[in-house]
Amino acid sequence: MTVVGKSWSRLTLPGKIIFTVVPLLLVTTFVAVSAIVLLGPTIIDILAANLPIVRFVVAVTIVLLMTIPTAFLIIYMEMKVIALMNLRIGPDRVGPFGSLLSVVHGLKVLMKEDFTPTGADPIVFTWAPVVTYLASVMTLLVIPFAPGIFGQDLNLALLYFFAIGGLSVVGLLMAGWSSYNKYSLLGGLRSAAQVISYEIPLTLSVVGLILLAGTMSLNKIVEQQSGWFTDWYVFQQPLAVLIFFIAATAEANRTPFDLTEADSEIVAGFATEYSGMRFGFFFFAEYVNVFIISALTVTLFFGGWNAPFPWPWPVTLDLDPGSLGILLLILVAIVPLILTIVFAAPVWMISARIKGWQALIVGFILANLFIVAVIFGLAYVGLDWVAGIFWFLGKTYVFVFTFVWMRGTLPRVRIDQLMDFAWKWLLPASLLNLFVTAAAIVVARSVRP
Amino acid sequence: MSLVPGLGLAKGMALTLRRFFEPKVTVMYPEDRRDVPHKFRGRLQLLYDEWGTLKCETCFQCAQACPIECIDMGGIDTRGRYHVHWGAPETYGERREESALRRSGRPVPDPAYRPFAAVDLGALDGILDEYDHDPAHMLAILEATQAAYGYLPVAALKRISQLTGAWYAMIYGTATYYSHLRFEPAEASAQAAAVAAHRPPEGAYLAALDAALGKRRNPGKPARA
Repeated sequence: MTVVGKSWSRLTLPGKIIFTVVPLLLVTTFVAVSAIVLLGPTIIDILAANLPIVRFVVAVTIVLLMTIPTAFLIIYMEMKVIALMNLRIGPDRVGPFGSLLSVVHGLKVLMKEDFTPTGADPIVFTWAPVVTYLASVMTLLVIPFAPGIFGQDLNLALLYFFAIGGLSVVGLLMAGWSSYNKYSLLGGLRSAAQVISYEIPLTLSVVGLILLAGTMSLNKIVEQQSGWFTDWYVFQQPLAVLIFFIAATAEANRTPFDLTEADSEIVAGFATEYSGMRFGFFFFAEYVNVFIISALTVTLFFGGWNAPFPWPWPVTLDLDPGSLGILLLILVAIVPLILTIVFAAPVWMISARIKGWQALIVGFILANLFIVAVIFGLAYVGLDWVAGIFWFLGKTYVFVFTFVWMRGTLPRVRIDQLMDFAWKWLLPASLLNLFVTAAAIVVARSVRP
Repeated sequence: MSLVPGLGLAKGMALTLRRFFEPKVTVMYPEDRRDVPHKFRGRLQLLYDEWGTLKCETCFQCAQACPIECIDMGGIDTRGRYHVHWGAPETYGERREESALRRSGRPVPDPAYRPFAAVDLGALDGILDEYDHDPAHMLAILEATQAAYGYLPVAALKRISQLTGAWYAMIYGTATYYSHLRFEPAEASAQAAAVAAHRPPEGAYLAALDAALGKRRNPGKPARA
């Protein structure tokens, strides 16, 4: 046995791991750093030359990744909120207040068997959930989250939204058609009938807004609503908001129009034969749809990322941490300690039964919360995109809550009531809204050109 | 039906929103357990369906499962033919149908059954007094009882169970465990033993079978003797 072999055999398990991992890390770091130093400028040049493509790829990646936590959050919200409305407690086992339950659901779905029925068309069967999911996700690309935070600023963003969003019907039909199950096929056709019927009032209700705004770019529509909340289009197009919201509910297959997969009546409709992650994609698409519909409602009618009131006093943050010099380092080291003690002291003084270390823990948590609050406040004031995302997500989740709330309250309509409502009420109402808006614009222009 | 369209929807939405903030009724079962009385088995009550008839199908499962036999019940069987009962037969004047009894899971009375001869239990009181009514001295009590009656009458065992508080099943188990304790008079036991003694041994049947069948009976295995 060689000397190396002998020394190796004398090492304990942690020693063996360290002796292998550390050199590997060193080599990898060296290679990576040298590659960045040598090739970095070239890569950056190439990327800069193809900025639109890079932007597109990055946006698509972010949007795809963003849908996962969004769907998890909305699924959790649905479980918890409906439970609370039913006087139940709801999920409370996994994570704080059960908040990780939807993640566990996701893992469960991933581990399930991915089953394709005999006689099904495997290619169409596999691609149907992808089409549905991507049709939902791709619409996120044009939604402005905050000033400067959007995938693409299309001048036809609204048209793009409805065009791509309408593609989800294709996915539903594909799923129903390829399942080799006549009930799935019926379910798919039923969903298609529903979604296409509601597509018409949905689109028509927005035409009046397009006439008012004079543009289809979502960014411009949001910018036109800046200022006080009275500038939001909801006050100029109240009927359109109502029609849009109802039609969007049907479009996203949510209660009371969730006939496509009416849980309690039919077995998931078009998705009867789906299992595992393929079903999971349909499921995901539904919840992403909820988010998207809420986001579009907010963008079009509720001011998008605009705060409901303009910031009353102008703030210019003139912070230059670099000017502190070495003091900055000392502050970074000391301020958390001081804050912890400052917050711990009153807790400690409340009661003689609270021990010192308990008070310190509470103080530490409070200090962290305080620091986070301060950082968020500074960011809100200093960076307009932080404020934008705050208001945009805040308003969007109000609408998401409304969807969940409706699901907790309203009973499902019948299929004939559904169709009647779309064609006999929503369509005339949206046409009326369009004509009244157009007439009002003509009158306003002739009165005050 | 209200005149304002959508008022019902608004009312429903308001209701659920109010419920959202109300205190919850869930009992976190494995952690929190409601304080129920010992031996609580839920409420004994006959329920009526929407037509006002009893939901009870007279299946006797409740009476059969009742651990302290406090349920006795009667009714008509599922086809409405027989009055069926569970419980002490003295309670009911009607004739008990054999099929109904059989369906109810009760032992069907045997017409050839002769009840036990009446046993005078007066001797028991002295024995139990001597052992202080203590179930720990069960073997001694049983031996004394057998000495007094010549055997262990069932009525005496029940009386012992009643007075000492020991379960009848345990007393019965004790009595069957010891071979010198018997449940019949000595002459009856001797008769049974004589019948058993005169039974031919097991090997004799096999030998007769072998003789009758030749060697064709299961040649693979050696014949047991």
